[in-house]
Amino acid sequence: MSGHRIVAITRRLLQGFRRDRRTLALLFVAPIVILGLLGYIMRGSTSAPEVGVANQDSGPLGAIVADGLKSSSHIRATDINAADGDAKLKDGSLVAYIVLPSDFSQQAQAGTVAPEVHLEGSQPGEDAPVIQALQQSMISLASRVSGRSVTFQFQVKYLYGGQNYDTLDYFGAAFVGLVVFFLVFVITIVSFLNERSQGTLERLMASPLRRGEIVVGYMLGFTVLALVQAVEVLVFALAILHIHNQGSVFLIFGMEALMAIAAVNLGIFLSMFARSEFQAVQFIPLVVVPQVLLSGIIFPVSTEPKGLQWLSDVLPLTYAVNGMRDIMVKGADVTWPSLQLDAAVVAGFCILLIAAGTATLRRRLG
Amino acid sequence: MSETYAVTVEDVSKSFGSFKALNGVTLRVRQGEIYGLLGPNGAGKTTLIRLICGLLEAHAGTVTVLGQRMPQVAVLRHIGYMTQQAALYPALSVEENVRFFAAINGAEDGVKQALELVQLYERRGSVVATLSGGLRQRCSLACALVHRPELLLLDEPTVGIDPQLRVQFWDSFRRMAAAGTTMIVSSHVMDEADRCQRLGLIQYGRLLAEGSPADIRTQGGSQNLEEAFLALAGRNES
Ligand SMILES: Nc1ncnc2c1ncn2[C@@H]1O[C@H](COP(=O)(O)OP(=O)(O)OP(=O)(O)O)[C@@H](O)[C@H]1O
Ligand SMILES: [Mg+2]
Repeated sequence: MSGHRIVAITRRLLQGFRRDRRTLALLFVAPIVILGLLGYIMRGSTSAPEVGVANQDSGPLGAIVADGLKSSSHIRATDINAADGDAKLKDGSLVAYIVLPSDFSQQAQAGTVAPEVHLEGSQPGEDAPVIQALQQSMISLASRVSGRSVTFQFQVKYLYGGQNYDTLDYFGAAFVGLVVFFLVFVITIVSFLNERSQGTLERLMASPLRRGEIVVGYMLGFTVLALVQAVEVLVFALAILHIHNQGSVFLIFGMEALMAIAAVNLGIFLSMFARSEFQAVQFIPLVVVPQVLLSGIIFPVSTEPKGLQWLSDVLPLTYAVNGMRDIMVKGADVTWPSLQLDAAVVAGFCILLIAAGTATLRRRLG
Repeated sequence: MSETYAVTVEDVSKSFGSFKALNGVTLRVRQGEIYGLLGPNGAGKTTLIRLICGLLEAHAGTVTVLGQRMPQVAVLRHIGYMTQQAALYPALSVEENVRFFAAINGAEDGVKQALELVQLYERRGSVVATLSGGLRQRCSLACALVHRPELLLLDEPTVGIDPQLRVQFWDSFRRMAAAGTTMIVSSHVMDEADRCQRLGLIQYGRLLAEGSPADIRTQGGSQNLEEAFLALAGRNES
């Protein structure tokens, strides 16, 4: 061991970084962006979910519970008609609704109340604040029923999913798409950078290839790769992990193909801004982690602070994740407007990125 | 005056930032001619070749190739460009590399002939990453001429090539030129320069002298091309 030689290596490394300002900047910016985002999502004034309350009680006690729900800070409760409830869950204006039956007061006097809790059920973790709010308002109910204790038996009904769905079912649907998006993005950005550094891109530019042909050729190549990967991921998810799937396997493929195309073009586009593999590698967490945090995979978009919801709404992964959940958890088919919107937005991003990738490729010529 | 020029470079300048890599270069290359670009490191040879195939755009002046003002994608089909560093796909075999460049130029039928020309037909199955430097250079040349271009731009094609093969390369260059292919070859090697029909000497981004090797000898006042070149370069320096 020679300290002199070791120092030579250490110094050489740091000297390289001194000239590579961009890598240095990314190295210090990326963790702040990622941690800051996480902090804002978890600590920021998260929006309370929208919950409907249908009080059908002919007695006085239902109104007490309903008021308790409306004053709860965990949810934002509004009065609805029980008949409208499912429609409101479907169009996304409510996360849940609670029905207090017509004999609610009598049930309370008899000692056991059974309010119905209807959950949308396609997103993990959205039921927790609803149950919490309901439990709190039931405590205030118990104090009004003199002389006896009241037990609660919530009847929980799921529009989608259900009791037999576990966390993996919710995450799995999104991750099946995410895994493909992420890996294809990494492969593309690195191989396009290789093309640049090994000089073959220069050769391609001096050939009759059109820039659009290069971009589309790349896209097809990696999409083929991505679809083979998608088959593997899907077989593993459905046959081995037994993740629930309500929809068509072909639709899942369609969605994954769109995500792969978006990922390839994002990779090509961003590789234009990376001068070295170092920089490309820095892009990966900076592009992927915020999208994962904001796309609704882990935290439902509707519970994010308002400012972040805006950001979520312009990220392609948000729509892709939503589409995958629509298919796998809700059993959406092509006639569903929400799935059509998701697919259209992801496809729109693909077109935008193809155009951007082609444009940046041209700019390097001059 | 009815000579046809394959390449016309007219008062071309190109800067990188504030650095002038080419400064008012004018030269003409006749069809079917082997034109040698000579000059020390950093003279601007590669930059000039990149301008000719449209990879760079001149800040001033014009470049015309095969009658078309560059940059112009349609002309690229007729140009073969061998880059200074062997730019190949290391994970592909020799034949796969050549076949790829043939395919993007729409000339798959030339693969075997190109491989034979650079004497790599026996090694066509070897993965490029495992090749020696000289073998890679040969593969790179095959990729540049597989589509039988009308204009071949060769940026130091014989660096790392052994002497026997170098002689054979020049024989085939001459055969191709006789068949009508125009060639612009950059080099530092003076005995190669002697094989060119005409030479352009470049230094500090300027064309110092132009003419046949005999002309250059006369202009430089020496029977030795190398000395003539150094004399011309020295005159420019002062
Ligand atoms: N992209 C670039 N950015 C900045 N400077 C450049 C760039 N390309 C070339 N140069 C500079 O322009 C000058 C001419 O470069 P060029 O590559 O044309 O030289 P050359 O004659 O081919 O040299 P060599 O014999 O070493 O290959 C050099 O000083 C080089 O540093
Ligand atoms: Mg050079």
